[in-house]
Amino acid sequence: MCGIAGIMFKGDRDTYETGKALISMLDGCQHRGPDSTGFALYGHASERRLRLRFLIGERDDESEIIGRIKGMLAKHGARIIEDEIVGANYRVTVEFDGDLQKFAYDMEHVARVVSIGSSLEIIKDVGGAHDVDERYHVHDFRGTHGLGHVRLATESDVKPEAAHPFWATGFEDVAIVHNGQITNYWKMRRRLEQRGFEFITDNDSELIAVYLADKLAKGVSLQDALKTSIEDLDGTFSFLVSTKDEIGYAKDRLAAKPMIMYENDDLIAVASEEVSLNRLFPGQALDTKEPPPGTYATWSRSI
Amino acid sequence: MVQIDLAKLPVRQANEQIRACGERGEDVEVINPDARHHIGVGLVHEIDVHVRGSAGYFCAGLTDAARFTVDRNVGWGLGDNMYKGSVVVKGNAGAIAGVAIRGAEIVVHGNMGSRAGQVMKAGTLCCASNANFMAGYMMYGGRIIILGDSGEHVGEDMTAGEIFVGGNVHNLGSDAMLTDIDSAEVDDIMAFLDRYQLPFKGTFKKVVNAGKKLRYATSERQMRSIPFFTFSGNLDYWNPKIQEDVFIKSQIGRYRIRGYGGARALPHVSDLAFRKDVARAGGDQDVVGKVKMYTEIGGINGARPLKLSMPVMIAPMSYGALSASTKRAVGLASSLSGIAENTGEGGMSNAQRDAAKQLIFQCLGGRLGWNIHDMNRADGLEIYISQGAKPGLGGQLMAKKVTPELARIRGIPHGIDLRSPSRHPDILGADDLVIKVEEFREATGYRLPVSVKMGAGRIRDDVKIAVKDGFDFIELDGMQGSTGAGSSEVIDYVGIPTLAAIIEALDALKEIGRRDDIEIVLMGGLRDGIDAVKALCLGADAVAFGTSTIIAGGCIACMQCHVGQCVTGIATQDPEHEKRYHPEIEAQNIHRFLESVRWQIAAITQALGYDDVRKLNRDDLVALTPEAATITRLPYEPEYRHRAPELNVKVG
Repeated sequence: MCGIAGIMFKGDRDTYETGKALISMLDGCQHRGPDSTGFALYGHASERRLRLRFLIGERDDESEIIGRIKGMLAKHGARIIEDEIVGANYRVTVEFDGDLQKFAYDMEHVARVVSIGSSLEIIKDVGGAHDVDERYHVHDFRGTHGLGHVRLATESDVKPEAAHPFWATGFEDVAIVHNGQITNYWKMRRRLEQRGFEFITDNDSELIAVYLADKLAKGVSLQDALKTSIEDLDGTFSFLVSTKDEIGYAKDRLAAKPMIMYENDDLIAVASEEVSLNRLFPGQALDTKEPPPGTYATWSRSI
Repeated sequence: MVQIDLAKLPVRQANEQIRACGERGEDVEVINPDARHHIGVGLVHEIDVHVRGSAGYFCAGLTDAARFTVDRNVGWGLGDNMYKGSVVVKGNAGAIAGVAIRGAEIVVHGNMGSRAGQVMKAGTLCCASNANFMAGYMMYGGRIIILGDSGEHVGEDMTAGEIFVGGNVHNLGSDAMLTDIDSAEVDDIMAFLDRYQLPFKGTFKKVVNAGKKLRYATSERQMRSIPFFTFSGNLDYWNPKIQEDVFIKSQIGRYRIRGYGGARALPHVSDLAFRKDVARAGGDQDVVGKVKMYTEIGGINGARPLKLSMPVMIAPMSYGALSASTKRAVGLASSLSGIAENTGEGGMSNAQRDAAKQLIFQCLGGRLGWNIHDMNRADGLEIYISQGAKPGLGGQLMAKKVTPELARIRGIPHGIDLRSPSRHPDILGADDLVIKVEEFREATGYRLPVSVKMGAGRIRDDVKIAVKDGFDFIELDGMQGSTGAGSSEVIDYVGIPTLAAIIEALDALKEIGRRDDIEIVLMGGLRDGIDAVKALCLGADAVAFGTSTIIAGGCIACMQCHVGQCVTGIATQDPEHEKRYHPEIEAQNIHRFLESVRWQIAAITQALGYDDVRKLNRDDLVALTPEAATITRLPYEPEYRHRAPELNVKVG
């Protein structure tokens, strides 16, 4: 029930206007999902530094939640370098060098985590692309690559935490956006839960994030993880995944959800509809490609 | 040549201008299209439209006679439902190119996405490069020419038509086979390719339907019919119904098909009573003139609403399931009573259009009989997702009823057991649906209300989708709804009761604070004015009657609607049987029934203390059974049961 978008710049800078590009692309397909909009943005990464974003809703007592977060950070020996409140987020940069999964689950037990990563930041909230931009200044964001998502809520409520992108809880810098429906959700989720993974929502897209992160953590390449996902996941899906230096896609075998891509010397862009790609190149007829059903691919910044 | 710049003009206004150019016979050039959706939809004049760039979804959809050229790519649903005319796409096409075309010529120079030519009826879809997954899926006629490779499962479940493949046939779809190609066919293809300047050297493989799934291997033996009251009796096990069922299945080895609605006892509006004693209702002879009943439906987003003299409509029933005479009688009765009629599946005949002053035109997944001309002469457009009697299934019309005339209107081969697709080719989620709704609005200039017919299933989610996708109203159909033909197990055991459906729908809208953004017409086993008032009290904006109007017009409830030999001339296409039905007389009978409904609504509304049906509310009701109380959260007041017979005597 949504539209997805992804972009990766090929050059070696980390100051491309990924925020602006994704805002345009998502505005172009906002008709596919008017309820909420989200961004997964990858910027400059620093050694041993993590950026954490928490959701602090209007009803919550901000100082109490921030107090709990700071307590848990201290418990894990994470030293706060800077922190601020942006929109409905508490954003904090820390120096940390421990077991990330344990750290992430503990953080999640004291507050609602949006993302944790060395280069990833997820921004998501209710409203359209421009509404979210106004609250979080997405257009200022410069970096290397990113994903975006517009959502029409059905099963879950219209809440920021049910918006995409989903962070693969416990796995640094992995995010996904998904259009479709995973029909063997509970079977797959139970399998992962039995192995100690925790799920924050009942949203089937979170499953894809955790599924892929689990594979990556075992040393499986992103390519191979996408390949097995087409076998393991049932239902209709077109999804995009991003890591610190890659983006990739997978598309179900029934070709039930749209996806279209464009590549030139400077960038790779993928979206649900060509209208989003054209937002990057107004007035130009683009040489686009539609990935066939049951296929996957990745692009890496190191190549 | 008129130039239209989509960088400056929204698509809606651009389409208005394109249609105006069509009327003047002027050609159009569209610049800066930037893959926007719905370019040119609804155009019915023979002009050239040149799109300088890429177009989005449904380019040239729902058109007739125009010639489109697109310089680069197109999105999903190229040429949707196009009659005559042509489209040439210089780049690639997304999924379902040529969906449901009725005679158009569509040429894609690049690749085509999945399911190209799905449910197409006539015309030529030609791809100069490779096609993807399931080209020709469920096609009913026409020709697909693929110069490159066919993709997997080519011709999946095709009924008729031909697919010619110049490259590799990766594998064949279900019920498709390769056959010999004759030289006349090759000459005709080469002439087509010459006309569109497509060079080709090589040979073709021809894919056609293998004929293994078009008819049931065994047709159902007609049995002595059981009267409905016996059929739904309280003998729980091994009653005559069960015996007959087992016996028939022992002969045919598959599920059975029957007509009519579910026969199980389910919580229903009859399990509710009015809180006030309405025993005195009807004492006032002039009550109809004193209670406001006029209702408009479908106008909340600016379309021209349906104008109903009371909050009642006719439920969708098809010409096909019903005879032309019956559709005429129902249509005439709807006009006499000042309410709206609905085509159901399978198209709009002139007779139907002439008889009904207000007519909703229904669009189903098979797009049988769907077209721009009838859309333009409709008073409302309706996307059918499912129906209460058989949620999740398509319509069924047995070969006996698929006459040459019906086959022509529906655009299908004559004499097949028609099992209509249960899914729309271009609606695989709420995100696609919103683009489809927009296409209909664009094609008809935003004049007509667009509704969704929804069989109660996952109501909470579906209703939220309906309001978010911008429908004007929902026709919400509960499990007690009837059908002309459905699997008997599905009719009896699948679905959500009408009572639960309306409550869940209202809960969902309340949850997202959108009750005022959509109207609900409730149906599914509602029988008379008393049921109607209860539905209005629960929160429906209007109700629709199907079965009771058919009964008013002579139906004897034998449940053999699917067989096609209806003794009353209602559910038949056999002229000998239809002779028994006198539409002018039955129209009066149905009209009188509808007037009794009007009187009941007025009398009860007045007895409850109101002068306007819009004042009816939940507090006017109590529940007579624990089940109904649980479903509706109304107070459980079993002692009110004793008042119910009195009410039936006084009112009715």
